[in-house]
Parts: sequence; C-alpha cells; structure tokens
Amino acid sequence: MAEAALAPDSALMTLVQWLSPAFPVGGYAYSHGLEWAISAGLVADAAGLQGWLADVIAHGSGRSDAVLLALALAPGADHAALAAYAGALAPAKERLTETLEQGRAFTLATNALLCADHPPAPLPVAVGRAAAGLGLPVERVLALYLHSFASSLVQGAVRFVPLGQTEGQQVLAALHPVISRIANWAATAGLDDLGSAGFGSDMAAMAHEGMEVRIFRT
Amino acid sequence: MQRASGEASVEMIAKAGRTHLADLWQSGSAKAMLPRIHGPDPEVVFLNTAGGLTGGDTLRYALDLGPGARAVATTQTAERAYTAGGPGGGRASMQVRLTLGPGAHADWLPQETILYNGAALSRRTRADLAPGASVLMAEMLVLGRAAMGEAVAELALSDRREVWRGAVPVLVDPFALTGASLSLPGTGPRPALLAGARAVAMLALVANGAEDAAGPLRSALAGLEDAEAAVSGWDGRCLVRMRAADGLPMKRAVARALHILRGGASLPRVWQI
Repeated sequence: MAEAALAPDSALMTLVQWLSPAFPVGGYAYSHGLEWAISAGLVADAAGLQGWLADVIAHGSGRSDAVLLALALAPGADHAALAAYAGALAPAKERLTETLEQGRAFTLATNALLCADHPPAPLPVAVGRAAAGLGLPVERVLALYLHSFASSLVQGAVRFVPLGQTEGQQVLAALHPVISRIANWAATAGLDDLGSAGFGSDMAAMAHEGMEVRIFRT
Repeated sequence: MQRASGEASVEMIAKAGRTHLADLWQSGSAKAMLPRIHGPDPEVVFLNTAGGLTGGDTLRYALDLGPGARAVATTQTAERAYTAGGPGGGRASMQVRLTLGPGAHADWLPQETILYNGAALSRRTRADLAPGASVLMAEMLVLGRAAMGEAVAELALSDRREVWRGAVPVLVDPFALTGASLSLPGTGPRPALLAGARAVAMLALVANGAEDAAGPLRSALAGLEDAEAAVSGWDGRCLVRMRAADGLPMKRAVARALHILRGGASLPRVWQI
C-alpha cells in the first residue's frame, strides 16, 4: 500500500488522527457498561474509575481488543476470519453494537481517506487492517489504540461520576503504565492467548441493556 | 509422578422420535454412564474416576448427537482442579466436544468446578452445530471451599467456550483467571472483575430465537439476595453471568435460570444442590 512509504512522523500523525476523538467514529456515544457501573455506585470517584479502567485494560476487553488488533496488523492477516471471531467474542449485545458500529464508521472514514474498499469489521480489526500499511511498530499502534479507548471512557466518566477535568486527566495519565504493559504483551499474542477476567465489566454491559433511562448507547 | 488421562465419548441417534445410545467409548480415568431416567430426553453422566485434576492430567469428554437427537449431559460430581504440583507440574488439560447434527439439541450442564489454590487448568469446551441444531451450556466455577476457610491466591485458569456453526464462530467466551486478576487483600474489590466473588457462572443458549429468553430470565433473576446476575440476548444467543459469595447460592441461582431456559424441565438427577 502507498502508506508504507510514509515518513515515520507522517505515519504516526495518520494513526493519531484516526484514533482522535474528532475522527467520525462516535466513540463518545458508548460507555462500555461504565454508565451502569456509575449509576450502580461501583465507580464513584477517580480512584474507582482508575481501578475499573486498569482492570478492563489488563484483564478484560481492552486486553482482548489489543490481541485482535495485533493479529489484524500482522502481514497476511485473514481479516474476514478475524472479524467473525471478534464478533463472536462480544460478551453482550451492546458490546457487539459498540464494536460493530464504531468499526463500521472507522472503515467508512478510512476507506474514503485511503481510497480503499474494505467491508465493515469490528473496531480493532478495522483499525488493524487500515493501520497495517503505516509501518508503525505493533506495540505503538496497540498503545495508542488502548489510550484512545481509555481516553474516551474517561471523558464520559468526567461528566457522569462526575469528576473534575484535571482529575480525569490524572486518571488517564496513571493508566499509561498498564497500557504500555498490555501493548507490549499483546504485540506477540495469538488467539490462544485470549482470556478475560472482566466478568463485572461484562455484567455491567449486560445490565446496561436493561436500563430504562440512559445517556450512552452502551 | 503418574499423570491421569481419560477419554469418554458418547454417540447418540434419534429413532422414531426418541434418542438412543449408538456408541459409547471410554478409556483411562474417564467414564460415561446413561442412568435410567423418566424424562423424555436421555441423560449422559460423565465421570472422572481420578477424583480431580492436577498438573499434566488430561481429560476428554465428547458427545455426538445425530440428526434430531436430544440429550442432557452432566458430570457425576463437582470437578476439582488441585494444586498443579510444584515446578514443572504443568497444567491440567480438559476438553469437552459437543458435535450436534441437524436439528439436534444438547444441554451441557456439568456440575461446578472447584479450583484449589495453585490450580493450573486449561479447559476447552466446543460445540459444533449443524443447521438447526441448538445448545445450552452452563459452567460454574468455585474458588476454594469457603466452609473450609480456603483462600485462593494463586491460579492459572483458562476456560474457553466456543460455539461454531460450520466454519462460522457464533460465540467465544474465553474466561481466564490468574492471581493477578483475583481480588486479594490490598487489591480492593475490583468490581470490573470478580469483585471478591468466590463463585461465578456462565450460561449460554445458542438457538433460533434464544434472545426471547432474555426478558423472562431478567424477571426470574431480579432480586436475588445472595447472587448477582446479568442477562443479554441477541440474534440467536442468550447469555447469563452470575457472581456469588459461594457455590451453593450460585448453584441455586443457576437452577432458577435453567428452569426458564429449559421450559421447566427438572435438573439432572445427579445434581447436588
């Protein structure tokens, strides 16, 4: 692909653009079950938010998405098979919606920018497929993806816990080490390494499905 | 040290509207039995005669249902995963394979798995569904025995369920637990993970229209006092997850969910509850 020839800074800027909140993926509409966890009092302050997100990244869906993304970045990856597997991994109806809707929007936007014609895919697969041509180190793509995921959830939590903007940024900064660790680990992981202990986070996504009043789609 | 290994395989077919045993094969520490029952569908009971799993053990159960056959499969007792057995002990490996022909249905309802401190278990449960086949799976895990004051701090569990229709994955649930993801003194409750629960259960129904069970399940499981449950249903799938302080309240909650998911059918007779 043409992107392989991009200068390193150019490739990095491209990825940062794709993962920024301004990119038309609509990440702000999804709370990943956090809205229910906040309403149930499970996440009530900055420390609670940090613990929740660190566990989701290290042991739950963040870790799983990092593995899927790493596999989608690999040369010769079978993106159709990965997309099917990623869909089957959704632990709740709204998790599937979240990854499919964002993945569809991401694919539409990057198809337009890259003059590509990729079919929609769950978000980590769509990002991996598009970013494969950038030639960036796998760990870097994974770290920026997880950072974008965490940043979006922190923004939502800042409004609804609520927290101060600075507190939110402190939480995000404190997550950098776990993001780096999982990005480094997942860079060489395979499907057999998938494993989630994010039971409560998954239950929150399931419970959100039954909430009568909600702000977020998930 | 002697490692236990066992394999039990049961094949059943439907004839004149009833399901019959076609073949039964067993070796090593695995056995399969078909107790006489009075319900419409036969019950297959698998048993690990080694009395538990430890490092290096391998255990395989298989159930193969022909077109239109229906069966309930369970285990004789709770399975126990003991301490792997020191350095080089390795993991215990367990595989469950359900192969369901066109229109066949299996209930895979093993009794709980008790994980002892230091257990290392890798379990794969896979159902392959032909067109029109359906499956109900319920898996229950208990960390140590609360009544014995056992605390689990070290663990290497990988417990993956997969349901496939032909070459298409329908459901993949790769549960994993290690010492790093447990709630231990000093880690706080960790609500995104197990929140200190000693018992968890995962139920999955994959069938046409399975999502319709979500509403009745939510009603039936609302207001549980000693267990926490969440339900999701979509596109031919219905999933339930439960957390509880100990095995017994979880098993009671699972029984309540199974009552809904199985149209009021009674639990396997070997279930201790």
